[in-house]
Amino acid sequence: MVKDVPCMRLVIDENRCKGCNLCVLVCPYKIFREGKKPNRKGIVVPELDRPERCPNCRLRQLYGRTICGLCQLICPDQAIDWIGEEPYEHMKVAIEY
Amino acid sequence: MNFLEWYRVDRLPSIFCAGCGIGTVINCTLSAVTSMGWRRNDVVFLSGIGCSSRAPGYIRTDSLHTTHGRALAFATGVKLAEPRLNVILFTGDGDLAAIGGNHFIHACRRNIDLTVVCVNNYIYGMTGGQGSPTTPVGARSSTTPYGSTETPFDLSELAMAAGANYVSRWTPYHTKELTAAVKAGLETPGLSFIEVMTQCPTGYGRANRLRDVKEFMEIFRMRSMLKQKADRLLKEGKPVPPDAIVIGEFVRRSRPVMGRRG
Amino acid sequence: MTMRRFLQGNIACAEGAIAAGCRFFAGYPITPSTEVAEHMAERLPKMGGTFIQMEDEIASIAAVIGASWTGKRAMTATSGPGLSLMMENIGYAAMTETPCVIVDIQRGGPSTGQPTMASQGDMLQARFGSHGDYSIIALSPSGVQEMYEMTVHAFNMADRYRIPVFLMADEIVGHMREPMEVPDSVLIIQRRLLEEEGRKPFEPREDLVPDFPLFGHGHFVHVTGLTHDERGYPSTSNPEVHERLVKRLVQKVEGARREIAMFDVVNPDAEVVFVSYGAPSRSVQQVLHDFPGEGFGHLRLKTPWPFPEWAPGRFENAKTFIFPELNMGQMARELERHVDQPVISVPKLGGALHSPEELAKVAMEER
Repeated sequence: MVKDVPCMRLVIDENRCKGCNLCVLVCPYKIFREGKKPNRKGIVVPELDRPERCPNCRLRQLYGRTICGLCQLICPDQAIDWIGEEPYEHMKVAIEY
Repeated sequence: MNFLEWYRVDRLPSIFCAGCGIGTVINCTLSAVTSMGWRRNDVVFLSGIGCSSRAPGYIRTDSLHTTHGRALAFATGVKLAEPRLNVILFTGDGDLAAIGGNHFIHACRRNIDLTVVCVNNYIYGMTGGQGSPTTPVGARSSTTPYGSTETPFDLSELAMAAGANYVSRWTPYHTKELTAAVKAGLETPGLSFIEVMTQCPTGYGRANRLRDVKEFMEIFRMRSMLKQKADRLLKEGKPVPPDAIVIGEFVRRSRPVMGRRG
Repeated sequence: MTMRRFLQGNIACAEGAIAAGCRFFAGYPITPSTEVAEHMAERLPKMGGTFIQMEDEIASIAAVIGASWTGKRAMTATSGPGLSLMMENIGYAAMTETPCVIVDIQRGGPSTGQPTMASQGDMLQARFGSHGDYSIIALSPSGVQEMYEMTVHAFNMADRYRIPVFLMADEIVGHMREPMEVPDSVLIIQRRLLEEEGRKPFEPREDLVPDFPLFGHGHFVHVTGLTHDERGYPSTSNPEVHERLVKRLVQKVEGARREIAMFDVVNPDAEVVFVSYGAPSRSVQQVLHDFPGEGFGHLRLKTPWPFPEWAPGRFENAKTFIFPELNMGQMARELERHVDQPVISVPKLGGALHSPEELAKVAMEER
């Protein structure tokens, strides 16, 4: 685990996602929303809406454990993970796959 | 450790359909295994044949993908020959309750120290949506085109009656509860049976107007009734709605166990 | 050093298994094999082994295969109806290259047939019973001493080639009581374990047999009955992967026929040659004993499968082969494929052995 990075970034692995939108259904923070355009494989991958609101992005390193994590647990295709990265720029919508 | 690290990432994405609940069940199971602090060398996954039985192929431990219905018999051999190993099975309603029904009741009777995670999706998914022993009365499938007329099995009640030490039932909507249930199953000596009522949008959903996985999830959310509430209703002489999915812990007990290490 | 004991064939089989290091037995009661299970139930717990009576024969062979993946020498014993039930999982053992020993004390069939009478009616089922192409080894003992020795050998062959090995005995040999020599120790050929770093779990060596990845030792092997590649991963729609795998499963046994096959040749100059395996060999031996001047030959197959097709050629003057079997000529068909001379099948059904007189009569007519 990357210890010196204060924040994590939520990423959807576009290669694994099958577009079932279960993450959209369960996220208590409404960070996911249904996508609009099919990708190269013809799958409509969900989009991220202000993912900096995800508590796991902000607090996982601080608490040393997964906070919430509902989207990752329910994702049947193991497509959701957090990677250690620089903090999101404030209020900038990042769409990261 | 994160449960994703237990996956054979070189085999992903999995073969499961979009919206299939099996991936969620694997996530919750692996999350429970991770929280036990076990090493990969201590865990073996087994399965029979069917959609859910493909699960061990995506997990980076030793795994035995066996013949249809027989995983419990194979697991009995693995566990008795090497009690050090923690043996976990993935199975489905057709695999466990139809072709493997005999092995199921006998494994429960022996109360052998295994954890069985049953993905009950009411249907044979791998072969294209045929009726199974848990298809509800009236539900359509490719072999019950006019609606099933057979009374389905209640697998949790069956496991309990046959003698399993731990039995609980959840759905993929209840991820945290399911994870906790699998963990309780792993901790309980003897046969632990965790039934997961799972959505199958492709096989079951297509034939029963539940093609959209969100509608399926809404059913799990709305119709699920905690065991305690169902018991209370019965006690008060009130009926439990016939379409209710009774979820929760059915039993946790300490009958004599077979195959426990030491 | 050996110890002389007076044993029943089935007990000798169980004792041989224990001497060979078998520490796991799963079975289901069936006449006439039950004594093997009963003796293992008594002996194994004292040896630190495991005996379990399963709910049926399907579960028995399944448990044996499961135990084998933890490195234990494991076996089951059954008879015809049980063998029929085991067939799917025997194919699984062949496909996944799981060493295991199946003792078949044959009785009269088809179906429930004659539970207490002998037969050799499972010879083709043992070889071809499961669907798809694969190859196995079958040993055929004709006495109590061989019940012991061939059981030990069966475990060695199972581990050497990573296949199911059949001990094709019958009710006569299983229930026969004879004096035998129990050796102090037996030769044990260990399974070749996967130890080389980075080697794939189903990557074959030169002998076409892959090293065995024991469960619980960090190999993280995925074992599947689906067509799989050398990593063990399912690969079901690639024709080349399937062809390579199945050809290897057959070839690793068939290609080693000359190492595997065991047979006895008596009177190689003979013109009339008896061919036999298992219990009927005893009648043939009596014919040769009773008519020493007639110059009959005897080819006794200790390993009916893989069939040693060069063995009949050892009888250079052979004009006729006489093949007594306790079936309608199952192995005689196989012999016919390999020889130019006429093969006279002498079937015997009902449970009794051929009498030496009736075999002698057939031979005299051919002379």
